[in-house]
Amino acid sequence: MATIALASGVEERVQQPSQVTLFFRYLRRNKSLAIGLAVLLALVLFTVIGLLVVSPKAAYPLAAMTKQPPSWKYPFGTDFFGRNLLAAMAVGLWQTAVIGVLAGALGTLIGIILGFISAYFGGWLDNLIRGICQVLTPIPVLLIQVVVASTLDKRDVTIFTMALIVVMLAWMWPTLVIRSQVLTMKERQFVSVAKLSGVSDFGIIFKEILPNLLPFIAAAFVGQVFSAVFASFYLAVLGLGPLREPLLGNIIWSAQGQGAFFNGWWWWPIEPAIAMILILGSLALIIMGLDELANPRVRRSE
Amino acid sequence: MVKLKFLAGVLLAAAAALAPVAVYADDAAATAAPAEIAPKTPLPDLPRNKQLILGWSIASPIGVTNPWAVPGYTHQEGNNLMFEPLQYYAIFASKYIPWLAQSCEYTSKDFTSLEIKLNPKAKWSDGTPVTADDVVYTFEGQMKNDKLPYHADFVQYVDTVTAKDKETVEVKFKIPAPRFKFEVLTLKFDTGIPIVQKAWEEKQKDVNAAAGGVDIPHSGPYDLVAWNANQKIYNLREDWWAIKAGLRKDPAVKRVVIVNLGGQVGQNMDTVAQRLVNNEMDSSLDMRAQVIGNILAQNPKITSWTGNKSPFGYRDWWPNSLWMNTTIAPYNDVRVRKAMSLSINRDQINDVLYDGAKVATIYPFPLYPALQKFADSPAVKAEEAKYNPGEFDLDKSAKLMTDAGFTKNGDGLWEKDGKTVNATINGFEGIHSDIAPVLVEMLRNGGFDAAVNFGTDAQQNMNDGVPGLYMFGHGASLLDPDAALELFDGKYSTPNGSAAGAGRWSRYKNPEYDKLLDEMAPLGADDPKFQADAAAALGIYWRDVIDIPIIQWLHRIPYNNTYWTNWPSDTNVADGENGAFWAHTGMIEITSLKPSGAK
Amino acid sequence: MATFRLVVRRLLFLIFVIWAASTITFFIPRLSSRSAIRERFAQLARTGGFAPADLEKIIANMQHQFGLDQPLMQQYGEYLWNVVHLDFGYSLNKYPSTVLDLISQALPWSIGLIFVTTILSFIIGNLLGAIAAWPKAPRWMRTVATPFVLLTGVPPVLMGVLLLFFIGFKLKLLPLGGAYSIGIVPNWSWEFALDMGMHQILPALALILGSVGGWVLSMRGMGVTIQGEDYVNFAEHKGLGGLTIFRDYYLRNALLPQVTGFALALGTLVTSAIVVEGIFGLPGIGTVLQLAIQSNDFPVIYGIVLFITITVATLMVALEFVYPLLDPRIRKN
Repeated sequence: MATIALASGVEERVQQPSQVTLFFRYLRRNKSLAIGLAVLLALVLFTVIGLLVVSPKAAYPLAAMTKQPPSWKYPFGTDFFGRNLLAAMAVGLWQTAVIGVLAGALGTLIGIILGFISAYFGGWLDNLIRGICQVLTPIPVLLIQVVVASTLDKRDVTIFTMALIVVMLAWMWPTLVIRSQVLTMKERQFVSVAKLSGVSDFGIIFKEILPNLLPFIAAAFVGQVFSAVFASFYLAVLGLGPLREPLLGNIIWSAQGQGAFFNGWWWWPIEPAIAMILILGSLALIIMGLDELANPRVRRSE
Repeated sequence: MVKLKFLAGVLLAAAAALAPVAVYADDAAATAAPAEIAPKTPLPDLPRNKQLILGWSIASPIGVTNPWAVPGYTHQEGNNLMFEPLQYYAIFASKYIPWLAQSCEYTSKDFTSLEIKLNPKAKWSDGTPVTADDVVYTFEGQMKNDKLPYHADFVQYVDTVTAKDKETVEVKFKIPAPRFKFEVLTLKFDTGIPIVQKAWEEKQKDVNAAAGGVDIPHSGPYDLVAWNANQKIYNLREDWWAIKAGLRKDPAVKRVVIVNLGGQVGQNMDTVAQRLVNNEMDSSLDMRAQVIGNILAQNPKITSWTGNKSPFGYRDWWPNSLWMNTTIAPYNDVRVRKAMSLSINRDQINDVLYDGAKVATIYPFPLYPALQKFADSPAVKAEEAKYNPGEFDLDKSAKLMTDAGFTKNGDGLWEKDGKTVNATINGFEGIHSDIAPVLVEMLRNGGFDAAVNFGTDAQQNMNDGVPGLYMFGHGASLLDPDAALELFDGKYSTPNGSAAGAGRWSRYKNPEYDKLLDEMAPLGADDPKFQADAAAALGIYWRDVIDIPIIQWLHRIPYNNTYWTNWPSDTNVADGENGAFWAHTGMIEITSLKPSGAK
Repeated sequence: MATFRLVVRRLLFLIFVIWAASTITFFIPRLSSRSAIRERFAQLARTGGFAPADLEKIIANMQHQFGLDQPLMQQYGEYLWNVVHLDFGYSLNKYPSTVLDLISQALPWSIGLIFVTTILSFIIGNLLGAIAAWPKAPRWMRTVATPFVLLTGVPPVLMGVLLLFFIGFKLKLLPLGGAYSIGIVPNWSWEFALDMGMHQILPALALILGSVGGWVLSMRGMGVTIQGEDYVNFAEHKGLGGLTIFRDYYLRNALLPQVTGFALALGTLVTSAIVVEGIFGLPGIGTVLQLAIQSNDFPVIYGIVLFITITVATLMVALEFVYPLLDPRIRKN
């Protein structure tokens, strides 16, 4: 039998599309993920460009004329104390991102470690970790965070300590989620096979289980970032954050304290409010999108 | 199967819910404060134009109306309408208003004895007359009970108190006490003591824990009739003794309702402002500068102490300074203190925060008429020229810091031995949220490591004397500068490691200064030696920058004229009291209001 | 027998939760050297000129009276003993009121609001979430439901401020604050109930709108998972009607895990209520807690935190006994 030689053009067409193209094609189907990522990207761009264009010092009081409405000179206006709100938003977004990512990563890491240990090694260790998680769950976390934040010496409240406060009681959920996923995987065939072929425990964890868990870890991470940003915003709005910094919650807190709405300085609290809605909203959309990603049965076909 | 589990669950929930009730019932006998005071019969309806509605943040525990209940009692939330003093003082008319006492005069030139003659018509709400026995009991109570606020003053000054007859009391002092009558026996602003009824207080097991409720006999014009978490209601009693005694006409305000604004105070003042504009209230606690301007603009019936003009308020007795512990480094170096003072731009404060009104100050006392005279006297002016306390000069400031051994580090902050100058401002969000951030920036520009601390530990930090600055007022002088200057008397300054008393946070100790104060103490304010010593002491205050005076305190209280007029103002001095309905003199103010004629 | 063991285990769980909450709330405020008694006097000094020269002695006396000068572990022991008796002691800031006094005074003003909003938010949020994930739902319904997720970005705090400004200030449709109109004495009439109701609308709206997004998100996640399950496909293939499948196969199964979350949501809502009550001047539990935190009045702080924790935990345990009624599969076991 003679082989039929294909025309060269046909061969090229059979090549697999690149990873990037596949990714974009998936985004087209998963609208919420797409929009969420787009908004987040826009915010990041705004922050980066903002920090380059405006001096960070303008985000602090007495930097500009006070109480100016948005204009060409001050695109976002200024507040009662003389902060240039454009700079304040850029710096505030950056600081919020730092808290969110730091606390999110820390919480997810704790969740992965504890979840793994608990599920993989089982026995009394599993019962202990699971028990602690369950017992701590009914305790109103935000309240404890409020109590802690108000107990600290004000000078100790910085961006970093806020991240720690926020993580303190937030790691239980990722631990339980990761634990349950690892438990399911433990029983699956590919793990038993790996064990039989003599792969070490660590090898199994890193080479077999972890890659399959990535969608869940990603979802847990985004979830943690969401609750970190939410909690830090809540603490700041109560006046418990590092007061001089232009964190979004702080700006709203000081605007409320000076009666911004009543006095007609609407732009002062509205701008950080919109920013916060965009941040949390985009994170929520991403979480929605990841839900679909994690469940292969539901992934919409093209 | 299902039923059993379900039942178990329900029982569990029920048990958890009922347990507190059981415990409460057990405790009921011991509880002192009632959950809520509601009138036994429904209150008669009163038209709106006979009621006065005030907005306040009610913090005292429900049911506490006994002036001797500590620390629950406060006169500010309506109880000033129940209890009265020997006399009031009208600060803007510079005169006493005799009340339960017709006269209260020193009977010896050296101020060691005092005679009080009561008004024979004075009566308690239970019909019994106010007698010398009540006064003696009140005074002796202060002397014996160390929980009461003026206990220390009584112990320091008072030797004996005797009732000469039913209406006369003689007080003998251990040492000359020229200011005792004004400071202790007169109610003005928030200081002084009211007279309590001996018969009722005697019957209490523990006067400091007895709440009082609606039953406590009082001499003031209003009765407490209702109190819950949302509001307090007081009704006028037509048998008030002052009407028959001719001291006052029958008050037009028949009922006072104090609305608990709760959490709306502080962070949500704009909502309170809007409610005022909507005529929900006739007056409320004071507003910030920006807010009150807008209130007046939105509702022309609302006015203030200065009518419709800036600064919309009257000078309160609490000028604020940046205090600091002058006994620890680096604040113990006068150059550092002066350098900090030089970095404060008082003109900019006036411009940014008060639209140009002259609110920033250099004095530790309010500029009431008598004190204004003192400040304008040649001796004081000379001291002011010598030390120039209000100066703003960053170069001079820098030179002083370098002389003191500091160098500027990479962040532009002064540093010595690896430490920056801690200029964290400990303050209170409710009142300092506008001034503190501005001061922080000014201090940072001067090279001091400043930040704001509105945390709940601010007060404790002041008391402990930690490194940093404390934003607080001087609640001392009203008539003469003695009280304010006395705040810095070395004998009250406690060593580090122990807590400082109120107003003693500077812990300043200077024998030269103390000597002046000792000379002043037994002298009347008109004595020329007193005036000279006071000027010299003020000079030392400025020379040593004991604290950095920042602003006078203004009370911008809104008056809604829709239903009530005749509010005190700079054009309507009336009896001379200030416009704060929560002060002791609030009773005078409220009983003088006239209906506007609106329905 | 199995039932008995289950009940015992659940009781043990409850006890552990209460112990953990008590310990955390005991130690944290005491780790700072702040004194609530001092705060109260400082407050009186600031606002009322109350500044006795021997303030220190007065404070020391009161601290002794409250047993605050004893060693920490001894205080802890006494405290745990008192917790068992549900005796939270006196409020330091509002002496002579006890903590239970304060809670019982404030509770009536909060309880209706918090329960009703949690339930409404649960129902509305889960329904919207279920719809959003159900591919068979009409397209317009899904597009309406999905944006509610964005509401998670507007916490009740923000929602309250915005609602107050737009509806209260600008449109003047609803009252600006307070639990009921000024000057009325609470009574059992319809007028009063209506008046109170009007005052609760905006705060309730703020709480519902601020928390509904969370339910939508989680329910949608649940729904997405269940969609893929075999029994749903099977039901479809069987030819059952859309609404039937939606209700009996999809909703019922997705809702089950959410029920546990209901108890937790109650706890979260109380935290949001702290600020919302502040915005609207409602004299409820949230305001009491806020004042307590401001003055570090720790008996009140842990009284309320414990109260909430016990309620939430008890509710969680109670709901577990309700499960079998909802899910026949568990009943069989």
